[in-house]
Amino acid sequence: MVVYSFYIFDRHAECIYKRRWLPRPSSIVGSKSSRPTSEASAPATGPPAVLGQSARTTDDDAKLIFGTVFSLRNMARKLGGEDDNFVTYRTNQYRLHYYETPTNTKFVMLTDIKSPSMRVALQQIYINLYVEYVVKNPLSPTEHPGGVGVNNELFEESLEQFVTRVLS
Amino acid sequence: MTQPARHAAMLSISNSGSNLAAAAEKQQPAQHLHTQSQSSQGLRVPSNRKTIYDRHLNRSRNAELSRASFAFLFAEMVTYAQRRVTGIQDLEKRLNEQGYPLGLRLLDLLFYRTMSSSTSSSLSSSSTSASPPNRPLRILPLLHLIHGPLWRLLFNRPADALEHSVSPETPNEYMITDNDPLVNTYISVPKEMSMLNCAAFVAGIIEGVCDGCGFEAKVTAHNQPTEMWPGRTIFLLRFGESVMEREKVLERAGVK
Amino acid sequence: MSVFSLIIINKAGGLVYQREFQPGLRKLSTNDYLVLAGTFHGVHAITRSITPKLPLPVTAPATTPTTSTPNAVSPSATSTPAPSTVTHSFPNPGIPATGLETMETDKFRLTCFQTLTGTKFLLFTDPTMTNIDVIMKKIYELYADFVMKNPFYQLEMPVRCESFDRNLTGWLRGRA
Repeated sequence: MVVYSFYIFDRHAECIYKRRWLPRPSSIVGSKSSRPTSEASAPATGPPAVLGQSARTTDDDAKLIFGTVFSLRNMARKLGGEDDNFVTYRTNQYRLHYYETPTNTKFVMLTDIKSPSMRVALQQIYINLYVEYVVKNPLSPTEHPGGVGVNNELFEESLEQFVTRVLS
Repeated sequence: MTQPARHAAMLSISNSGSNLAAAAEKQQPAQHLHTQSQSSQGLRVPSNRKTIYDRHLNRSRNAELSRASFAFLFAEMVTYAQRRVTGIQDLEKRLNEQGYPLGLRLLDLLFYRTMSSSTSSSLSSSSTSASPPNRPLRILPLLHLIHGPLWRLLFNRPADALEHSVSPETPNEYMITDNDPLVNTYISVPKEMSMLNCAAFVAGIIEGVCDGCGFEAKVTAHNQPTEMWPGRTIFLLRFGESVMEREKVLERAGVK
Repeated sequence: MSVFSLIIINKAGGLVYQREFQPGLRKLSTNDYLVLAGTFHGVHAITRSITPKLPLPVTAPATTPTTSTPNAVSPSATSTPAPSTVTHSFPNPGIPATGLETMETDKFRLTCFQTLTGTKFLLFTDPTMTNIDVIMKKIYELYADFVMKNPFYQLEMPVRCESFDRNLTGWLRGRA
């Protein structure tokens, strides 16, 4: 199973964290150590150009993904009732998983189409990583405009570990 | 030389029982000539005596024409007929007119096949007429011809019912029922045109066949849906007065 | 095992058919269905455009030499951006990316089938339902037969074909 990317959106519909795992040629890996593809903070929007996509596209991607999940979530509620939850969708190329916390924070993960449901995994990321390392972090602000406070080392390291060890 | 012989034949046959053939000759000289020329080897006839007319257009018995092609063609015919029409009746009239010449032409093919393949079956008439099937002279054989061979030629199955009007005021009305007309298979008529039945085209074919046989008639198609058959269609045949009068004369003369 | 409803969206994103077969979903007003169809049409296009793009391994040697080996000729430096924009592949290379095909919620599963002509069939079923592609294929067949062959149907307009309804209901009932 392959994880392509991961996004967190806060209750103001802002993307506060995004990260991509792309299979890359080994030659580039040396240039940036443990978390080369992280685009959590604003200064880190430079690197994606190396990966074959402009920074503008990844920002747009986050907006497009939010628009998509937001529309689908509303559609699910409209048809299935207020207690219905949008869980996942699949195209012939990828699968998108969605988890929404009671506080309206949205976790989105893009994986390959063969992957099983990631709802529990997203919930674990929320409970064991986000709450532990972001919410409980005394240095982190309550709101995270531009991803401030989410891009701390503990959270990123453990997310990396979770994805590489637990999920694959 | 042929002329006296033919005359003699007519005279003799008029006394004999098989007057069907004679009448056919009298009213359809074209057909007569056709059979003659075939027997006199005037046309190019293959050695096995099977001309192209003897063969079905489809070589194998089970081969069928594409139903989809027909459906699309018929859909375009309906669309074409709809142009500048004033109402449903006008539209049905146009569809009827499209079918009419087809019926006239089809009749020759039907007769030809019925005659030449009387041994071979598939079109052999289920009607009451005697073994060399021929042009019907009375109404009932005509109706059987339409109900059976014509329907099989067109739709590969006989029609579903044949009825005579029960009302004493309209003895000239007959009804042929098709539970699911092929032409209407894919057609949903809009609600505002609910009276329309596109099988008016088939009614036109029937009318052509009747006229070709010398039976003046008006044929119309009517919706008669049942729960089981939502597309059930009744073809109402109204024969003209001249036909009814002739029918009486022939009945008295004992013609079948 | 139940099929809740079917929606057909024309290639411009307009709702042309909406029908409920079994209760299970909330009923919406006609206007809401129109909005839903339009929204889905847009979302469908977006889900295709956000397909992850994976850089091709073969392009890496082409990009790295420009930084590691300074003796590369200057034209190569200007030519590198061009390959880097096209040298990516989809996760399933060889297949053109589609938009959303299935979507799941707690209450229902939405299966979307887009014909080559751009018409979209949206089937809402029970989340546990299997063999939806068989149903979808049959619906497409019935559509091709009873809608497209109907002389009274105008392309891209709402589908009001009584025989389509009848055959669809009959077939679904026969399956259940």
